[in-house]
Amino acid sequence: MNVIDAKSPRPVMGLYDQPLWESVNARGMKLQRCAGCGNWLYPPGPSCPSCLSCELVWTPLSGRGRIVSWVVFHRHYLPAYPPPYNAVAVRLEEGPTMISNLEGAMPGEDSIGRAVRLVYATMPDGMILPRWALA
Amino acid sequence: MSQNTTPRAARHPSPRNKRAAAVVGVGHTDWVEDWKRCRNGERPNDSYGYGLGAFRNALADAKISRDEVDGLIAGPTTAYERLGELAGIDPRWGGQADAVLAVSQAVMAIEAGYAEVVALIYGNDQRSVGTQYGGPDAMGGGAFLSYVYHSPWGFTSQGALYALTLQSYKHARGFTEAEMGEVSVAQRGWSSMNPNAIMRKPITLDDYLGSAFVCEPLHLFDYCLINDGGVALIIAEAERAKRMTDRPVFIEGVGRSDLNRGATSLEPRIDQFYLPAQQEAAAQSYAVSGLGPRDMDILQVYDSFSVHVPLALEGYGYCGIGEAGRFLRESRIGPGGKLPTNTSGGHLSETYMQGWAHQIECVRQLRGECGERQVQNARHVHYTSDVAGKCFSVIYGR
Repeated sequence: MNVIDAKSPRPVMGLYDQPLWESVNARGMKLQRCAGCGNWLYPPGPSCPSCLSCELVWTPLSGRGRIVSWVVFHRHYLPAYPPPYNAVAVRLEEGPTMISNLEGAMPGEDSIGRAVRLVYATMPDGMILPRWALA
Repeated sequence: MSQNTTPRAARHPSPRNKRAAAVVGVGHTDWVEDWKRCRNGERPNDSYGYGLGAFRNALADAKISRDEVDGLIAGPTTAYERLGELAGIDPRWGGQADAVLAVSQAVMAIEAGYAEVVALIYGNDQRSVGTQYGGPDAMGGGAFLSYVYHSPWGFTSQGALYALTLQSYKHARGFTEAEMGEVSVAQRGWSSMNPNAIMRKPITLDDYLGSAFVCEPLHLFDYCLINDGGVALIIAEAERAKRMTDRPVFIEGVGRSDLNRGATSLEPRIDQFYLPAQQEAAAQSYAVSGLGPRDMDILQVYDSFSVHVPLALEGYGYCGIGEAGRFLRESRIGPGGKLPTNTSGGHLSETYMQGWAHQIECVRQLRGECGERQVQNARHVHYTSDVAGKCFSVIYGR
C-alpha cells in the first residue's frame, strides 16, 4: 500500500468529539469552553475538570500556540505515516496542550518555546487534520 | 500547568504500620529459554501458563502449601476468576492489579485483616501473541486515553510518550543524550552478571550514541524488551511470615500519589516530569518507614524506558532537581557505582515483566541470593514507579 492509498488513522470518537471534528472540517477549530470559569477543555468531555460545570460552549481557537516538546519517528508504524515524520506538543494560547504535527519544517534543537500557528492539512485520503506551522 | 493543582505539601501522610507484611516466597519462569522458543516461532505457554509456572516456583520457594493462601491478586493480563480456577484457590479476599498496586493492595488487605497469606500471580504472553503497544488499537487504550487519542497525528506508541517526555526534560534541565545513555549502559552492566537476563552483552556509551533512533530522542537501547514470562510472590502477615521463614523480606512502607489532570494531552509528563507526585509518594513512604534516600542500598525503578530513571533520581530525592545528569555521570548507578540501580538489568536488559520482576529482585538482593551481581550487605531496597502518573514508592527491608 502506498501513502496515497493509505487511510489516515481515525480519531477517537467519544460522545463529545463530533463537534471538534466538524469544526476542523470547516477549517475553524473549536474547543469547549466552560461558561462558569472560562477553562478550555481538550480533549472534549462532559464537564469542566476545573469547576465540574456542565455549561460548556464550543468556542473558536485563536490558532496561536507554542511548542513545548517534539519527537521524530524513525520507524514505520502506520501506513499513512512513512518515516521520518514528527510530532509536536503545542501549548495553546487558551491553555490546553495538543499533540499534533509541525508542517513545513522538521523540529530541532531550537524548537521548544517557538510560536506556532494553526493550519489545516489535507491528508492523501482527504481527511482534514489540524496541524501547526512556525508563526 | 493550565489547571490548578492541590498543594502537595498540604497533604500529610496517613499513619500506617511499618513492617506489617513480608514477602515469604518469590518465583518466576525461565524467560531466557522462552525468549529463544518465541524467537523460534513457538508459543511455550499462554499468560495463565506462565503465571501458574511462577506460582508453583513461589510456593516451593516459600516452602508452604497452596492451602495456606487465603488472598489472591491476579495481574492485569489474566482474568481473575480463570486464574483463580487454574490455581485452585478459593480465597477470602482477592483483586486484580498491576505489579506495584498488587503489592500495595496485599499489604492493605493484610493490615486490615482481610487476608493473612496473599498470592500475587502475573503471566504475560505478549511476545508470542504479538501484543501491540502502539497503533490505533494499542494495548491499554481502554484504560489510558492518551495511548490512542493522538493516533490521527501518527502519535501512538508508548515510546513516543516517553520520547516527548525526554525531549522536554532535556530542554528544562539541560540533560544530555550521553547522560541518558548512562542508564542503558549501566543496566547492561548489571545484566551481564545475571544468568536470568535475556540481554547480557555489555554495551558502551559509544554503542548507545551510535545506535539508531526509534522515536527520537529515544534510541533503541532506551526501550524495554518485549518477552513472555511470569512472576509470582507470596506476601504474609508479618508475625506469620516470621514463623514461615527465617528470611522474610518486610515491606517497610508504601506511598502513592497520582497526577491525572491533563493526562490525555500528557501535561503531567512533559510539564512536570511527574515530580510532585513522586515527591509526595516518597514522603509518605519515608514517613511510614522512618527511612530516607540515604538509607537505601539499592534503587529499583520501573523502566519501560530509560528516561524513568533520571526522573526517579530527582523525584524520589536521590539528587537535587536538575542534578540527575551529573549524578548519572559521577555517582553512577551501574556495578561499582554509588547507587546500584536496576541490579537485574531491569526491563531494558533482563525481562519486561511490567514491574513484577523488579519486586523479586528487591527480595533476592535482601536475601543475598544474587550471585555475581549481589550488592553486599543490602538492608533496604527502594522500588519506584510512575506509570502513567501513578507514582508509587515501596521500601523493602530485612
